[in-house]
Amino acid sequence: MKRLDRRNFLKTTAAAGGMALAAPGIARAAGYPERNINVIIPTREGGGADRNFRAFTSIWKEKLGAEFEPGFFPGASGRVGYEVYMGKNEPDAYSLIFGNMGPEVLNWAMQPPESFDVADYIYFGRVDTDPGCLFVGAESKLQTLDDIIAAGKERKLNVGTSRMAHPASIGLLSLGEVTGAQFNLIPLSGGKNTVAGAVTGEVDFSVLTSGSVIAAGDAVKTLLVFGENRVGEALDNAPSMNDVYGTDLPEMLSSRAFGIHKKAVDDHPDRFEVLTRTFKESFDDPALLEAYVAQKGTPEYLNYGGVEECEAFKQAMLELGAKYKPLLTGA
Amino acid sequence: MGETATILTEVFFQTLNYWWVIVPTIFLGLIVGGIPGFSAANTIIILMPLTLAMDLETGIVFMVSLYCSARMGAGIPAILVNIPGTAGAAATPLDGYPMAKAGKGQQALSISFVASCIGGLLTTLIALATMPILARVGFYMHSVEMIVVMLFGISLIASIAAQDMLKGLIAGFFGLMIGSIGTDVVYATPRGTMGFLELYDGVPLIPALVGLFAVSEAFIIIEKRVIISEDAEPKHPNWQDTIEGAVTALKRWWHIIWTSIIGLAIGVVPGAGASIASFVAYQQSRTYSKTPERYGTGHPEGLIAPESANNGVTSGTLVPLLVLGIPGGATAAIMLVVMQFHGVSFGPALFENQPKVGYGMFMAMAVSYLIMFLTILPLSRYMSHVTTIPTIYLAPLIISFTLVGGFVPREYMFDMYLALAFGVIGYIARRTGYHVAAILIGVILGPLLERYFLLALKKSDGDVFVLFSSTLGNILWVALFMSLILPVFFNWRRNRRSAEVPAE
Repeated sequence: MKRLDRRNFLKTTAAAGGMALAAPGIARAAGYPERNINVIIPTREGGGADRNFRAFTSIWKEKLGAEFEPGFFPGASGRVGYEVYMGKNEPDAYSLIFGNMGPEVLNWAMQPPESFDVADYIYFGRVDTDPGCLFVGAESKLQTLDDIIAAGKERKLNVGTSRMAHPASIGLLSLGEVTGAQFNLIPLSGGKNTVAGAVTGEVDFSVLTSGSVIAAGDAVKTLLVFGENRVGEALDNAPSMNDVYGTDLPEMLSSRAFGIHKKAVDDHPDRFEVLTRTFKESFDDPALLEAYVAQKGTPEYLNYGGVEECEAFKQAMLELGAKYKPLLTGA
Repeated sequence: MGETATILTEVFFQTLNYWWVIVPTIFLGLIVGGIPGFSAANTIIILMPLTLAMDLETGIVFMVSLYCSARMGAGIPAILVNIPGTAGAAATPLDGYPMAKAGKGQQALSISFVASCIGGLLTTLIALATMPILARVGFYMHSVEMIVVMLFGISLIASIAAQDMLKGLIAGFFGLMIGSIGTDVVYATPRGTMGFLELYDGVPLIPALVGLFAVSEAFIIIEKRVIISEDAEPKHPNWQDTIEGAVTALKRWWHIIWTSIIGLAIGVVPGAGASIASFVAYQQSRTYSKTPERYGTGHPEGLIAPESANNGVTSGTLVPLLVLGIPGGATAAIMLVVMQFHGVSFGPALFENQPKVGYGMFMAMAVSYLIMFLTILPLSRYMSHVTTIPTIYLAPLIISFTLVGGFVPREYMFDMYLALAFGVIGYIARRTGYHVAAILIGVILGPLLERYFLLALKKSDGDVFVLFSSTLGNILWVALFMSLILPVFFNWRRNRRSAEVPAE
């Protein structure tokens, strides 16, 4: 056994110290995560986001080696959850937010809070993309897109939407711009009421994310998709708005994604690298699709997106939000 | 028709075979319904892994019987200790609690159980028989019509205020003002939130409910030895009181029928709920009563009306779910998720493709009410003991339960403080002669009225004449006008008759 004399001791500690100083990130990231990851969900427990979160994290936790602990903070169209995340959670990469990029970025654009800027957090992991669509009740007099456009040129049509600041609302306003039809957005507070509004005739027709429309079954008929129709017959083979009108509207999506404090990314790039890498690895695992479908997700909507895709979508929503802000806020 | 009858009979007996699921679920429902903040909806969410693991039939029976029994359970603490378990039971204590204080808690529970079971069972059968027609109600009851329905409920403030109009109206308007806190329904602009994020979605109902009723009541009863009045004769619970209550309710069978039908009609409108139905039924019951002055003092009809109506809502919410695929309320929405998991497709094709599922839900409801009638009624004898527990133990228990109840729905500590704040407001209101029920009606119905009103205005681009733009709406306006005028007329006629009787 080699004796540990003073010279050897100094050599060993110097080498160890040097390694730690030279590669602190690697050393720390190797230990990350040391505890569970808290995830703020700005919607109610038991809803679509909850099911989506559970499906995805059931795979991701294996890759990351840590459990995810959800905390539900519903309210004010997601704003409560974001304020809690930005104001009360440490930017240490141990707390994330699982939001719906489309409506929640729009919500920020309509009424920017004083407490944080939209650039203070970034989305880094998109789980799914569910395009908005236009649909009528099964018994509506307006049964085709042509019917709607013709009627919309004669009178202002009342159109149900989940809430004013919603990607599907922007899709509709764009349709009005392209066709000259007049639409009056009526916020019906939630997907259930938006479907009911179209079915019962409270409004002339509605716009909503397609997942909720598919769930309504035969009670509704989809006429147009503000994005790509990836599910075909489930949305009555409705065409894409860009295909029908030759527009270049970005997909109007309900798109759930994990976000993180910008400061956490800057201060802990190593931890962020672990998060993004393991997030991507989860998508490569075939078990994810099974878990997603088991939680009633539409398999065609499971759609990986990294930092770049999320940022591009966020910016598109901010631009469209600024463009249509007067119509969406009544200002 | 013959085929449908065969299916119904078959499904009925199949459902009876699930008694072993129904009986324990009824007791679970009574507990979760009775604890403020818990409800059938969040219990099904909590137990979702279990529900999803069950086969479809067992899952339906479990969810439906939990839904019915939770609705009934919410009335128990409302009667005994003035704590409505849910907003749907908010009108129950108006006459239920005065009965309990007068030493008639057992009779009150018995009346509540009979009215709930018969109201629920009857409306289930009506819903089953008239489903295609009922499903159309939602096609006619839009925002304009719902404004008038809301006004029926809100006009109850004026009735409550009858004894002291100024204080009653102040309390009602105070409630409406509190109800307008939060973001507006059109542009989501925050109003009156005082910077509290927790108020962005409005004042949460359960903390307001338990604070105004229960916490303030705990402050009041702590000044007494027991809940029941000192001049009331404390009695040992006995079967006779249970039977007396049941007979009292059964004698008013017609009252049960028409108030439960109000609940059914409101329940089938997507988005409307038990809180609206129970206040509207109470208001209508009082309007057309020969003894309106007895309402609020422990009048059986004032207890029958909200309990029959809120159980009528239970069957009503299933109609748009099954026929149109649109859940009528929160619990129905969660049922939809669970049943879609099992591959059930709701909507017009359901009764063609899976008739046993469609009829099975109603049969599960009917059988649950039947079994509840047999199992719960005898319990009133034991439950009424609560009113004789010394307040030194009861008041802290009430406050603990209500604070937990305030916390549960959103899990915000803020909501516990809010319940306490409402408790103080309720206590001051009671001590100064302002009616807490008038405040609560404003808090519960105010936001709903505002929502329908703003939607109607938005649809008409701000034209207020939209309020008189529909035939059904105009009929309802006339009915509302009549229900406001008739009590005055009846009162005038009664006074005239009594004046005509020569004094002896």
